[in-house]
Amino acid sequence: MRNRLIRLSGTKCQDCGLVTYPPKAACPKCGSRNLIEIELPRKGEVLTYTILNVPIKGFEQYAPLIIAIIKLGDAKVLAQLTDVKPEEVRVGMKVQATIRRTAPTLDGVVPYVVKFKPIKGGKISSEEERAELATA
Amino acid sequence: MHDVFIVGVGLTEVGKRVDIALRDLAAEAVVKAMEDAGNEKPEAIVVGNMLSSLVEQENLAALIADHVGLRGISGFKTEGACGSGGAALLAGYSLVSSGLFDKVLVMGVEKLHERPTPDTARGLAYAADADYELIYGISFAGLNALVMRYYMDKHSVTREEMAHWAVMMHENAYHNPYAQLRKKITLETVMNSPVIADPVRLFDSCPLSDGAAAIMLVSEKYRELNDTPVKIAGISNALDSPDLSSRFELDRFIAAKLSTERALKMANISINDIDVAEIHDAYSIVAAISIEEIGFAERGKAPKLWAEGRFRPGDKPVLNPSGGLKARGHPVGATGVYQVAEIAMQLRGDFPGLKVGGEVGLAQNIGGVGSNVTTVVLKR
Repeated sequence: MRNRLIRLSGTKCQDCGLVTYPPKAACPKCGSRNLIEIELPRKGEVLTYTILNVPIKGFEQYAPLIIAIIKLGDAKVLAQLTDVKPEEVRVGMKVQATIRRTAPTLDGVVPYVVKFKPIKGGKISSEEERAELATA
Repeated sequence: MHDVFIVGVGLTEVGKRVDIALRDLAAEAVVKAMEDAGNEKPEAIVVGNMLSSLVEQENLAALIADHVGLRGISGFKTEGACGSGGAALLAGYSLVSSGLFDKVLVMGVEKLHERPTPDTARGLAYAADADYELIYGISFAGLNALVMRYYMDKHSVTREEMAHWAVMMHENAYHNPYAQLRKKITLETVMNSPVIADPVRLFDSCPLSDGAAAIMLVSEKYRELNDTPVKIAGISNALDSPDLSSRFELDRFIAAKLSTERALKMANISINDIDVAEIHDAYSIVAAISIEEIGFAERGKAPKLWAEGRFRPGDKPVLNPSGGLKARGHPVGATGVYQVAEIAMQLRGDFPGLKVGGEVGLAQNIGGVGSNVTTVVLKR
């Protein structure tokens, strides 16, 4: 499952064309089960965000925790923003995927997840991103 | 389908009820509802609850039935996050309307103060998508904050307009003896309250609550158990994605719209017939979208209307004369049962807080961020 999350896997309906994230077993729009798994683009822009001063138990180390919904191609993805100060976050900000650790699960495993960081000055660091994907 | 009537209601005071065990809190509501229905015993019990696992107790129907002397009857628990009470009503209604039973007690109970708040907050976030949302540590307040910012940007709604909701809810709750927050507040109270998940402030949010509510549902044969039976004229539930990412529109709750349409159609009435409603204002943004999806306001307009003074006693409809989740409180799995009991009492004329009267009422109970919605229409 986590591998799908890191790869930003979504599903695309072969009948109506709807792209959905998280991936579903059937299309939420037309009900078709004729779906293929696709990888979403790894760059997009912030649609909305929140800054949590009080995350849920286990995530205290990340406070203030910044969570955004990001438009990635034809899909939307909820994820954490990283490498950015709370006061710098804006709706419309361009961001790119990066692989990071998150808080340990209840059984002590430290999972890797996809987070998003600002694209500095519009510069695209796809080599850095490929390297991250390879090591994940 | 057989007609279904409410002939008994029982509420407990909402608040921090560490003084009382879950089973005794539940019993208080159940006994009041049975007494209100001429001391008649139900043949089945349905219990709405989300997080009794926090106090390491499941199998609630057996626990509660046994505790109040109903050993031997039928029953089960329903879960639909904050919409668990609505789910219990839908199940209880179905048991009576199908003809399987003539008398079913529907109740909801929740105890959130038994554990430290961060534990409870994690539990409440189980309503979201565990694999794709909870994994980032987002709280339920945070999920609502994402919707709130999007909604305010899209519809040019001001922070101050949003804040009027909480002020109105505290005014209404001031008169409600069952309410958790019985004190009036000002706009400044809301605007200066701490930010918990930007842009959601403390006073945009309902409190953490313990409480229990119960309703006796009966078939036509037993409607005389109460002098003023109230008919369940329409009831419907609708589901949406638990995750926000795959929503078609972030400023809408499609499940709220669908369940309202189906409940109104079943009751054969229009939205303009509603005199009074209890809606699910877990956050002020949830109130806004619920009001719009039900059809009491155009999209993006609810906060402007309530800031102008709409929905108060004397208006049609009056919204949340109880004080709503904001100030009556939100004992999660019990909330949907509180709402329907409060509307039934408004139509009967014996609600012990603000009395607004009316012939037709509506209650809407929302689980998750709009993902599990039950709407009920009541007629005197």
